[in-house]
Amino acid sequence: MFFIINIARSPSVAVEFYSMITQIVRRYFTWTLDTTRESHLQTLSKGPLFKGMGKKLLRKLLIDLVEKKYTAGDIIFHEGEIGKAVYVILEGSVKIVKESNPENKTLHVLGPGSQFGELALIGQTSRFATAVAEQDSLLLIMYKSYFDDLLRRNNAISTGILLNLAEILSDYIHRNQPE
Amino acid sequence: MTDERHKGGASLTDLRKLRNQMPGWVLIILALAVAAVIVSRVTQLIILLTAAAVIAYILNSVIASIERLGIKRSVAVILLFVFSAAFVVAADLIFIPNINLDVMNFYAKLPEFSHQIQDALLSIAQSNAEKYPIIESSIMKLVDIVFGPDGFLERSLNASEIIMQAPPLIMALILVPFFVFFLLKDWPGMMKRMMGWVPPSYVETIISVIEEINILVGKYLRGLAADCFAVGALASAGLWLIGINSPIALGILSGVANIIPYFGPVVGCTASSLVALMQYRSFDPLLNVVALYLVIKLMDDLVIQPLLIGKGVHLHPMILVITLIVGEKLFGIMGMILGVPVVTAAQKTVGILLEHHRDKLRRESTESFIRTRPVQTPARPI
Repeated sequence: MFFIINIARSPSVAVEFYSMITQIVRRYFTWTLDTTRESHLQTLSKGPLFKGMGKKLLRKLLIDLVEKKYTAGDIIFHEGEIGKAVYVILEGSVKIVKESNPENKTLHVLGPGSQFGELALIGQTSRFATAVAEQDSLLLIMYKSYFDDLLRRNNAISTGILLNLAEILSDYIHRNQPE
Repeated sequence: MTDERHKGGASLTDLRKLRNQMPGWVLIILALAVAAVIVSRVTQLIILLTAAAVIAYILNSVIASIERLGIKRSVAVILLFVFSAAFVVAADLIFIPNINLDVMNFYAKLPEFSHQIQDALLSIAQSNAEKYPIIESSIMKLVDIVFGPDGFLERSLNASEIIMQAPPLIMALILVPFFVFFLLKDWPGMMKRMMGWVPPSYVETIISVIEEINILVGKYLRGLAADCFAVGALASAGLWLIGINSPIALGILSGVANIIPYFGPVVGCTASSLVALMQYRSFDPLLNVVALYLVIKLMDDLVIQPLLIGKGVHLHPMILVITLIVGEKLFGIMGMILGVPVVTAAQKTVGILLEHHRDKLRRESTESFIRTRPVQTPARPI
């Protein structure tokens, strides 16, 4: 019934049962564990957008979201495009380039765990810069409608992401305030 | 070379020239026509694949729950199948003897039931013969069509036809779990491979299509299950209140039939009316049954569906009826059930693709402006 209609289960019973099963699997059935996903989970938990979130929630994101491989030199999105998704680097690195400013061309080089294009979650704004894969990279892509659906259905993940997003933005404002 | 070309028909360069001269929409229509021909040729396979895809979609949430423990997907799928098989075997051992008995009883009692309905109809015809001769003649015709020597009942209960239909059923019982297993196990791998083929500039559009369809189908299936449950419960309660026999069985039938828009409630109402007719041998309780189903339909349209399915799955009533008729013609009952989500998903996909096209045009027109704009802002969230 829980799978058909998304009704809330008693949190304490569900959490206890979940942790008990996880412990049993980790101790006696290590061969059944998905090691690639677990290493991606470590990467994801280090990133600023998902910090402080539980492993179960992060695993849900890794299961639900789409992964895509980019080869070095691939343009992920262009400056000026309408942003509709946020990208998280699982493997490799991505260069953020300002095409309209030739003097200050490379703004950032981002590594595993970092995210870019996060403003797309708030509204459909134009991309401020271009993102280019610097090495062969594996990216996790969260589309805005998925996040909107999370806001309606899963408070734990969406609240966590919103709080972290607010922290990222406030940090940016502090860093760029005139002296 | 020229001779060879004339002998073998159009060469590759000729085909390329023809393709370049053709507008894109002609190619899309041609591709759709070819797809329609293929689909109409392998209807049964498409029905089995669609049924497997729906089952896999529903089971995917179970698999995701197991995966959230950190377990590999393949192990999760095998676990689910082993437990399902054990459950089916146990259910067989416990319930099958009883179900067999019920089915045998039902078949044994079928001539008795049909005689009861026939008697009820004939007694109603006789009692109304003087006042309303039209009713008498219509009922006599109906009895002849349904219960006559070459009538509907005789034809539909022909044992040889039931046996003829058995092989596809056995094939479905083997093929559907087979498809479900591989769809569940390999779906993430297939998605990764498909995403690998998508050019970077189309990634966000393709993901938006996948996400929207996923949300839409999930909402539709969950809503439909809850809607059928609500309608079934209402029908059971209503039939019990107006004193019709077997209210729970009729409620379950009404709930299941409710999957098919428009036609489902008619099926439920007809079955309940037949039972009422057998029970009371009069037309008066039929009015109560029809009124009950009208009230349920109104409640379903005005309250239950907007609450459970929402406005996300919305088709214009005219398109909905056309979808149902075309679905029935192409794929039978399955076409009627699955036509609505498929057409809604197609509608949404076309909307997203058009939006992508508009964005692209807008970007191209503003690109020159962005390139010349002076920017001093340092690194910031993008």
